Amino acid sequence: MNPRTACWLIFITLALTVPLPLLGPFPVLAPAVRYLLLATVTSSVALVEGASGPVPLILLLFAVHALVYLVLEWLVAALLARSLSRLTRPSRRLIVLTTCGFLFLMAITFNLYHMPFGTNPKANLFGLLS
Amino acid sequence: MPRVILLLLALFLGISNAETHLDFERTEEREDCLDYQPLRQPFFGDTHVHTAFSFDAWGQGTLAGPGDAYRFAKGESIGMQPYAKDGTPSRKIQLRRPLDYAVVTDHSDLMGETRICQDKTLEGYNSLICRVVRRFPKLGYALINGHVYSSLSPERYSFCGANGETCIAAGMKPWIEIQKAAERHYDRTEACQFTSFVGYEWTGMPGGNNIHRNVIFRNQNTQEYPTTYIETPSQEGLWEALHRECISAENGCDVLAIPHNSNVSGGLLFTTTRSDGKPFTEEDLYTRRSLETLVEITQHKGDSECRISAEDELCLYETLTYPKMSDMMGSRADPNDLTQNIYVREVLSEGLSQFNRQGVNPFKFGIIAATDTHLGAPGKVDEDRFDGHAAGTVDARFEVPLFPDRSDFNPGGLGVFWAEENSRDSLFAAMRRREAYGTSGPRMTVRFFGGWDYPLDLCQEPDFVAQGYRQGVPMGGDLPVIKESGKKPRFAVSALRDPGGEGAPSHPLERIQIIKGWTQDGQSKERVFDVAGSATPQNALDLETCTTSAQGQGQLCTVWEDPDFDPLSPAFYYVRVLEVPSCRWNQYACNARNVDCSQNDLTSEESEFCCEGEAPKQIRERAWTSPIWYSPTTKDPNQPKSHSGSVAPQDSTAPRNASFAPEATTDQSSEGSIESPPEDTGSGIAS
Repeated sequence: MNPRTACWLIFITLALTVPLPLLGPFPVLAPAVRYLLLATVTSSVALVEGASGPVPLILLLFAVHALVYLVLEWLVAALLARSLSRLTRPSRRLIVLTTCGFLFLMAITFNLYHMPFGTNPKANLFGLLS
Repeated sequence: MPRVILLLLALFLGISNAETHLDFERTEEREDCLDYQPLRQPFFGDTHVHTAFSFDAWGQGTLAGPGDAYRFAKGESIGMQPYAKDGTPSRKIQLRRPLDYAVVTDHSDLMGETRICQDKTLEGYNSLICRVVRRFPKLGYALINGHVYSSLSPERYSFCGANGETCIAAGMKPWIEIQKAAERHYDRTEACQFTSFVGYEWTGMPGGNNIHRNVIFRNQNTQEYPTTYIETPSQEGLWEALHRECISAENGCDVLAIPHNSNVSGGLLFTTTRSDGKPFTEEDLYTRRSLETLVEITQHKGDSECRISAEDELCLYETLTYPKMSDMMGSRADPNDLTQNIYVREVLSEGLSQFNRQGVNPFKFGIIAATDTHLGAPGKVDEDRFDGHAAGTVDARFEVPLFPDRSDFNPGGLGVFWAEENSRDSLFAAMRRREAYGTSGPRMTVRFFGGWDYPLDLCQEPDFVAQGYRQGVPMGGDLPVIKESGKKPRFAVSALRDPGGEGAPSHPLERIQIIKGWTQDGQSKERVFDVAGSATPQNALDLETCTTSAQGQGQLCTVWEDPDFDPLSPAFYYVRVLEVPSCRWNQYACNARNVDCSQNDLTSEESEFCCEGEAPKQIRERAWTSPIWYSPTTKDPNQPKSHSGSVAPQDSTAPRNASFAPEATTDQSSEGSIESPPEDTGSGIAS
């Protein structure tokens, strides 16, 4: 596993699994991809039905969260990948896969996410993606 | 003891001396009621009920339809969310005591869209916005709320087709179902056990400011399709539509509109100009007054009686200090920064000012209360059994929440009509003449009369009620103008505590207050008088057990004379009846979970809700009567110049085809020195 692959793998794992808050009066804890999905849905509605009322504000809320969180997670992934680059390839692979596997396991086992914008207020990764 | 009970019965039902006779126009075919009381009886119910036909109620998981809501009102149990996939409800709810009447008032806006998004067979089911609503309910709610309800220029979604035809056509089905449910549950037999009305809610919220109205039809004759904010985005547009499509339709249709939640209206619910900024015409003012005879003073989303002030500390009751409805997700505002005319008392005062300026009081509101339930659960007002009413604010759709609602919301109240019998015509007549009051939930019985000649010992008289009517006017009426100088008006007021019942706890009364508002030198003034009973000592309520050491009163009665009466100043008087302090719903909820704030083993939600929140732990349940007005001038603006030929109604309460003529003026006194009041009266009683 080369550092570039490690970086991508860590980034994807973080983006899919790490619960992050939505700033504002909403008790939301969701991974960055969720904000990206909500921003995409909102922008689709805005394109089809027009961006009247609070639609631009809602879109901005989700888009900013998605962008900021994804950038932060990319930086974290890049830093981790760089620090792991000194290790041997098997060691690097072991650490990356173990860490990512652990995060996915947690995300599958526990209802880590609080998503009042979804169909379940609390969910695990499967609930998030279903 | 039995004699006391008999005397009370005689006092409040007026059967001891019922030589007077009341009448109203019967506009429908039905049996006469066996229980007909010429001196009227109180009927308790709810005029503000949402079911699964309302977009926001469906979005939060409510599946109860109008029929279920009426069944609930009549005392049956219904299911409540969350529901299992097979439709089995996780909870059952039931009233301790059935209601006498109810009105299902689903949102007219999005009625068709809601049906389309629910029904796979309808065109539009797979539209993007319906998919979003089903897959992301809260996001869908937020998007649609902004696109329709709170938009300044609301539009229908593209799947509704040209001019919204698809959605309007889809909305016809629920509208017909609403009417059928009302008909099915209306007791047309001589037993007269339950009355339903056909209604809907016009849901205007321009810029997030609430200007909602509940529209209630007198009988089975209604508009062909309810007016929507989307097609008719102004209050004057609603009035014109109701006139054009109902009152002037000459098919027996008659209608009222009840504004509510002025507390989050940003001052737009009771504007003195049209939506385009032009002043209201004289016709507008009369139309408003004839259609909007009642206002909902309290409900689930806060109390609208009065502004918090040092002069009236009891205004601090279920107060929401958000400038407008859409700010409820944000931070609160300083109460002093809120706009004027967002509280009923202010608006009643503004009505006096308008009368001084234009000779018409367009804000002549009687007072009721309601729940605004979004569970299809009318009259579910018990503090100790509150299950929330939330409209898109709680995720009860998917799980039973730890606490049923936001701590600043409340169970809402009930509307009470003094009517001869429990039939649509009789109750509607009471609504029109404003002989009504609202309660924060308890079923206390309140009488309020105003006149000039009541004996000060009237409360000792067995014919209290008959004299009340004979020598004056009831709540909602106008004091007759008097020519004798030096006389002061007297007000006879009596209250009986909620009798409670099997499994229905109730609390004794604390005191009766009369609130007077008047204008002086162009300034609005108000004053609160304690006229019977006295304040409860502090700390009488044990919050841990929700029991009180306050004795309170089972009944209160007095005749009060206004000591500061100025015959030259227009004024209004209304009554506030208070119970001794009792636990608020949040305290019951925390007690039920055995939350002890001195312990450290609380969850963050328990700690935040029960220990750190700003919500009060106790309340004084209360009732507010419709005002009695005094107007000094004899200039009679009953009919605007442009409509001087309007048809006077046959009975004193029915303005059908009297579009711009308010209720007929009735001289209610046999005293020769009294003239007809300058504006519409509230009584219509004939001795």
